[in-house]
Amino acid sequence: MSVALATVAVAWAADLVYACPSCASPLEENRQAFVDTTIFLTVVPLTMIGGFVWWLRRKIRDQDEPPEIAVPHNLLRDAGRFSKGR
Amino acid sequence: MPDDALGRPYGLPTRREPVVPNGVLGMLIFVATEVMFFSGLISAFVIGKSNAIGGWPPPGQPRLPIEETALNTGALLASGIALYFANRAFKNDSPSTKRLLALAIGLGGFFVLFQGAEWVALIGEGLTITSGQLGGYFFLLVGTHALHVVAGFIILLYTYQKLSHHDLDRFTFWPAQIFWYFVVAVWPILYWEVYL
Repeated sequence: MSVALATVAVAWAADLVYACPSCASPLEENRQAFVDTTIFLTVVPLTMIGGFVWWLRRKIRDQDEPPEIAVPHNLLRDAGRFSKGR
Repeated sequence: MPDDALGRPYGLPTRREPVVPNGVLGMLIFVATEVMFFSGLISAFVIGKSNAIGGWPPPGQPRLPIEETALNTGALLASGIALYFANRAFKNDSPSTKRLLALAIGLGGFFVLFQGAEWVALIGEGLTITSGQLGGYFFLLVGTHALHVVAGFIILLYTYQKLSHHDLDRFTFWPAQIFWYFVVAVWPILYWEVYL
């Protein structure tokens, strides 16, 4: 019972107290700036981490690929359907 | 002991080159933290600017030198381009590497000196870090960037010295470039937000 009362009290208080000073600003421009910067600060680190993982995977894939070896044309022709069309 | 096709003795493990050199990885992590630091500063500025009563820039404050700083922005961007071509020349072992790196350092030095002169003029007009919101944000944002430019300038001087002694390798040059490109890339954003 006391837990339920405390939860209701907290929920009621949260309706009165704002976590950020800009959320309750009377200026529309200020509220919009708060939303814009929240999006910006969320997207920037995710983009950086995502970009780094993508770049790292590409580097690892490039390193794992065996180096190309020059093969004479007559050998490739003789390979027939195993020549991968080269 | 018989050798394999590459002349290595059989049975010995081959050592793989790291995917990302340690210096590059360290610099990338550092630059990532710097990106977040500047993002925080810019966000604070954007919110502060939108909250200003009486419009922005605040009335009664000195105007920021937009045209002169545009020229200085061009110098910094040119410095980044010169460094890019210096790296290309370095990869090809071209003798023009030294000249291009010197050009990049020179343009970076010009940026710092020009900005110093601009600051002296603005302080003379009454814009200080305590004169108001504009002065506070201006010196915080532009001053933090100026500190980074000075640090990057010193790093580039170090690479130039190593190049002069034929001691520069890509594991030193690459991290130095990453830092300088970051310093160059963040400036147009600051210019756009603070000056325009």
